[in-house]
Amino acid sequence: MEERIKQIMADVLDLDPDSIDESTEMDVIESWDSLNHIQLCLSLEQEFQISLGVSEIESMFSYSNILEVLQKRI
Amino acid sequence: MTNEVQTKQSTRQTFLGALDAGSLVKAQLAGRSLVSENCNAAQFSFICNAIVKAAPKMLSLKPLKVALLSSFSIEFIHDSLVALGFLEGLHVEIYQAGFGQFRQEILNPRSGLYAFKPDVVIMAVEGKDWMPTLYRDYLDIIDGELDRDLVEFRKDILNLVRIFREQLGSTLLIHNFFPPVWRQLGILDGHVNQGQAELLNEANRLLCGLCRETQGVFVLDYAGLVSRFGAKQWYDDRMIYYARLPISQPMLPQLAREYMKFFRGLAGKSKKCLVVDLDNTLWGGVVGEDGLDGIKLGPDYPGNAYVAFQEAILNLHKRGVILAIASKNNPADVDEVFSKHPHMVLKKKHFAQEQIHWRPKSESVKEIAARLNIGLEHVLFVDDSPVECHQVARALPMVTIIRLPEQPERFICALLEEGLFDGLSFSQEDRNRAELYRQVEQAEQLRGRSASLEDFYRELEMEVSFHPVQANSVSRAAQLSQKTNQFNVTTIRYSDSEIAARAKDHDWLVTTIRVKDRFGDNGIVALTLARFCSDELDIDTLLMSCRVFGRTVETAMLAYLCDRARRRGALRIRGKIIPTSKNGPSQDLYETHGFQRVSVGSNGESVWLLDLSIGAIAYPKWLRIVAENPQVDKESPVTL
Repeated sequence: MEERIKQIMADVLDLDPDSIDESTEMDVIESWDSLNHIQLCLSLEQEFQISLGVSEIESMFSYSNILEVLQKRI
Repeated sequence: MTNEVQTKQSTRQTFLGALDAGSLVKAQLAGRSLVSENCNAAQFSFICNAIVKAAPKMLSLKPLKVALLSSFSIEFIHDSLVALGFLEGLHVEIYQAGFGQFRQEILNPRSGLYAFKPDVVIMAVEGKDWMPTLYRDYLDIIDGELDRDLVEFRKDILNLVRIFREQLGSTLLIHNFFPPVWRQLGILDGHVNQGQAELLNEANRLLCGLCRETQGVFVLDYAGLVSRFGAKQWYDDRMIYYARLPISQPMLPQLAREYMKFFRGLAGKSKKCLVVDLDNTLWGGVVGEDGLDGIKLGPDYPGNAYVAFQEAILNLHKRGVILAIASKNNPADVDEVFSKHPHMVLKKKHFAQEQIHWRPKSESVKEIAARLNIGLEHVLFVDDSPVECHQVARALPMVTIIRLPEQPERFICALLEEGLFDGLSFSQEDRNRAELYRQVEQAEQLRGRSASLEDFYRELEMEVSFHPVQANSVSRAAQLSQKTNQFNVTTIRYSDSEIAARAKDHDWLVTTIRVKDRFGDNGIVALTLARFCSDELDIDTLLMSCRVFGRTVETAMLAYLCDRARRRGALRIRGKIIPTSKNGPSQDLYETHGFQRVSVGSNGESVWLLDLSIGAIAYPKWLRIVAENPQVDKESPVTL
């Protein structure tokens, strides 16, 4: 699952998947703006066949948080 | 890693490698397989990001500037639009106005929209944002001014389109409206006078009428698109409120695909010819093995699905798509099916070319394109066999291929979904095209029999008539300029409105050419645009459909221009050749007609002059020339 999350993040945010780790968060990644954030969350929904609530979307501002939310859901 | 993931990863590597090497065709081939099935939004972003980095190297991409005016956050469509455009050879550049800014952008002559100089403008406005009362407060107006929103809408849209046209000649696409998902009167909506659905149909009808009347303005059938997928799947209620993004993520590429149908038409990339396989495509089973009585075609499943597929193909034929067969079969078996099977919808007469033998299908496709004189990029190849599809893709990467799904009931959707044959006009010529191609075939046979070329020309009994472009021929003229690639000296593409504007201009000579011969009327098959500049007539466009290649029609066109030029007192005719990969057949036009070359640019562009006092060109004597309306020197303006 971690690999798949990293791949989606890499695709949407135009990053190298290997560069993504616990330190990857919205505040430090320039391409991670509010538009791409929605794009990212919707892409993760599509990849994992889930539907996220708005409160979840608003808590997924870093790789660690994304992992945490998705682990609960899958 | 599963196999699927591995395949995806390796296709991605192929895609990136091809982009890196600057190989457009290979990158497109890999890209097509990436977007084909279950392509999620992230993959579109991946493709888009890679393209944006490689675009400067991809010189053969054709730029297309698209402006999106919307009442919602349409920016999420960006990546899929860029990716899908790339697969069609387009470098799509997008301008997005802030959501809800569509009126301001059009009304303000100094807006970003006009500064961007778009080729296409898309007005993507949801019905509820334009006619809020009708959607939100319908029950409040039910006893009163039910059509108030409609009257307002009509005034608003007429005004916006008029102002837009004063500023820009670009193509304009306007979304029509999907009616309210939840009708406020429930099941009685259709029972009361003017229910919500009825009122919205009325709005859509108004819009159709307006678009029909205004050149270069088209309805984008958003209501039809949403219906095909279903409103509950199309809309994402959560994102409507959270991000003003009403369209669900998996549906956005479908909207982009709908836009692509128009872009393809605009860029002259619509398909012209459908090459079909026979066994397990037009009927179930293999005729060589199952025999005439064993193949599945008829009133019961799965035969009825094949009948329906044939009907869909026949309808393409009726709208002007050229049909051809590429089948590995014994010709006698095939003939038997066509002549004896009671449920064959398609007949031999519907096919302009047949390639029925055991040689590779790529050879068949190549031969068909050569005989029809059309480019391979205008051919769509349809086959059920993955092996055949792969073979054609390998040998002829510029051919578009549809591999049919397993079940025959899904064939029609696979064939029609991308709207590959959709063009921006539907003329009498389209309706008669299949007939015309048969005439060409007959003329070719005559050429084979005639002793000399001159005898051949005489036996054709050709009549060539010249007409200034008229209101009823503008769209055919624009269509020719958009679609003609081979005999086209400058390959300048014109929209309907651009042609019409030049026709009204006193200095421009916009002439359509109709060719008849003993086999029938070919219709309007050639076009010239020329402009008087001081003492010269400058040929801007001279093009001719491949249907009348090699019959001296081009000489007659130059003779006609010489004639017009002299009547207006011009001393010289100036012509330009802009070489492309396709217009080889027209590159020596001026040289063979006695023009002198005056310059050659670094890009191969050459300029030619003909001194009328020395070298005026005469009409070939085997042609009957009709130059109607010789008063076209425009003492009186042409009415359009």
